Amino acid sequence: MRKQFIVSLVLLLALSLPLVAGGAKEVAPAVDPNKLAWVEGPTVLGLPGINPLKVTGNIITAGSSTVFPLSERIAERFKEEGYKGTITIDSIGSGAGFERFTVAGETDIANASRGIKASEIEAAGKIGRTPIEFRVGTDALAVTVSKSNTFLKNATKAELAKIFSTAKTWSDVNPSWPNEQIRRFIPGTDSGTFDYFVEAIFKSNAEPILSATNLQMSEDDNILVQGIEGSPYAVGFFGYAYYAENAATLNIINIEGIEPTATSVDNASYPLARPLFIYSDAKIMREKPQVAAFIDFYLSYVNEEIVNVGYFPANEKALETGRQAWLEAMKGTY
Amino acid sequence: MIKPSKHPFGRKTPMNERIIETLLFSAAALSVAVTVGIVIVLVKESFLFFKSPEVDLWGFLSGRKWQPMVGRFGILPLVNATLTTSVIAMSLGIPVGLCVAVYLSEYASDKTRGLLKPILEILAGVPTIVYGYFALTFMTPLLRGIFGENTVEIYNTASAGLVIGILVLPMIATLAEDAIGAVPKELRLAAYALGGTKLETVFKVVIPAALSGLSATFLLALSRAIGETMIVALAAGAGPNLTFNPFKAAETITGYIVRISGGDVSYNSVDYNSIFALGLVLFLITFTLNLISRKISEKFHQEYE
Repeated sequence: MRKQFIVSLVLLLALSLPLVAGGAKEVAPAVDPNKLAWVEGPTVLGLPGINPLKVTGNIITAGSSTVFPLSERIAERFKEEGYKGTITIDSIGSGAGFERFTVAGETDIANASRGIKASEIEAAGKIGRTPIEFRVGTDALAVTVSKSNTFLKNATKAELAKIFSTAKTWSDVNPSWPNEQIRRFIPGTDSGTFDYFVEAIFKSNAEPILSATNLQMSEDDNILVQGIEGSPYAVGFFGYAYYAENAATLNIINIEGIEPTATSVDNASYPLARPLFIYSDAKIMREKPQVAAFIDFYLSYVNEEIVNVGYFPANEKALETGRQAWLEAMKGTY
Repeated sequence: MIKPSKHPFGRKTPMNERIIETLLFSAAALSVAVTVGIVIVLVKESFLFFKSPEVDLWGFLSGRKWQPMVGRFGILPLVNATLTTSVIAMSLGIPVGLCVAVYLSEYASDKTRGLLKPILEILAGVPTIVYGYFALTFMTPLLRGIFGENTVEIYNTASAGLVIGILVLPMIATLAEDAIGAVPKELRLAAYALGGTKLETVFKVVIPAALSGLSATFLLALSRAIGETMIVALAAGAGPNLTFNPFKAAETITGYIVRISGGDVSYNSVDYNSIFALGLVLFLITFTLNLISRKISEKFHQEYE
């Protein structure tokens, strides 16, 4: 009996050893933060050069489904250039992304297609985080219809407000349009895209759009694309990249007569253009140098990738503000 | 709780046997504990939901709009969609499943049965997500081809319901075959002796005699159909919609739960708590169905013993 007891005690100790060792390892980078291993080569746009081969550790991000394709593209390039860790990018909507970043504190980076709210900054403060904003690009919100739709080419904001709320049939909005029921496919209520649309078209009152009939909501933009493709009387909206990806089956409509192009988005004449962000925190960037490296990489190369993904570059001033924020957060670490 | 069975020769039960009995008992107790745990969580979280000021029980049960974001919590559109898909599923699953069962137990030769049964089992083993995409990429285009693109929406309850019918088909066929097989041979022989043909024997004697077992089977299949999630989440639609038209999109209880828990709303909101209340409703429905089915099959066992 006694012997058995000793044996089990030894076993228990042996089992707990790796746990202790694992814990110690994780603390290590914080102890010696004054040299970042991955800084190498000439600076890019004022930010330190990165050797992705020397970046270790995993990165966890979550948030906007609109920013998702862009973050995914940057992460792919980061890996192509030698990064060996894992980057998780959950496409769950800006609101849920902020929640994970500011309440649960599970993520290193929050992707967002809207600015952070004061209440979210406050929540982050409670878990010791101070969100830093990095502007990465601009999205033109795309209102799309199926290729088989022959009547809708242009809509005013007032018409959009009717199409996405009280109108039952297309002819309710404009008598020259067919007397067919409108089928609506829109992003879920936790997406930045939804918030932005409600703000731009309904003055931040979500009631009319949520009360619309024939309303399908999903955080998965592909479900929306499929739904809109499915009928000439369907209509929906999402980030421009999903339109770009599905331009073969979808038509984008002009808003107030203005087509979303690089110029109209940049000079803000397209009424539904909005900024795209990623958010992190100085403490996380310092404790997890891989996060700092990824953001550095993101800000350095985003303009080379963003057009291919289907969005528009942010203006130089906004990008420079992000780069300065990075330098400020990482001061003295390399 | 445990009564160590007396050893047949009156000796004391040995120690290691007791250990085994205890282990077996804890395995059984664990499953009970898990069930109780789930019920407690459901009730506790639903209580939070019903406690919030914007919710009242009557409005919840009778309201015709489900829009948690703007404070409308009427469960009817969700229940209606759940019933629509389930009824469609049953109207496909029951007749076809019953025919398969009759064929397997009364007509099929041993060789055909040996071929058919494994195929049915494969059908039962297909993951429901595969059925979901089957509904979306095969059943929906098929329905749209038959009834017209403008009648049938891309997401619709008919497509999801039919595929759920296919999903429960093997379950109905297997259980119904057992129920038919349990009918005593004497009844069949008596029917033949009275000059009944095989068809008459099957449909006028065997099936009525197996009816209670069959009803239990159908109820079990119905509760499976009501709880089905993946197929409706993919194919039925993603917005609550009170409609009786099966070609229109509508969201079922399970479909709503899966969409919301997939990151649609934040954790500390009424809408998030609402999914627990919906879960409780779902649990009560399937629990009641299972109880009824149990009662019926108990009665059926007594009949021929």
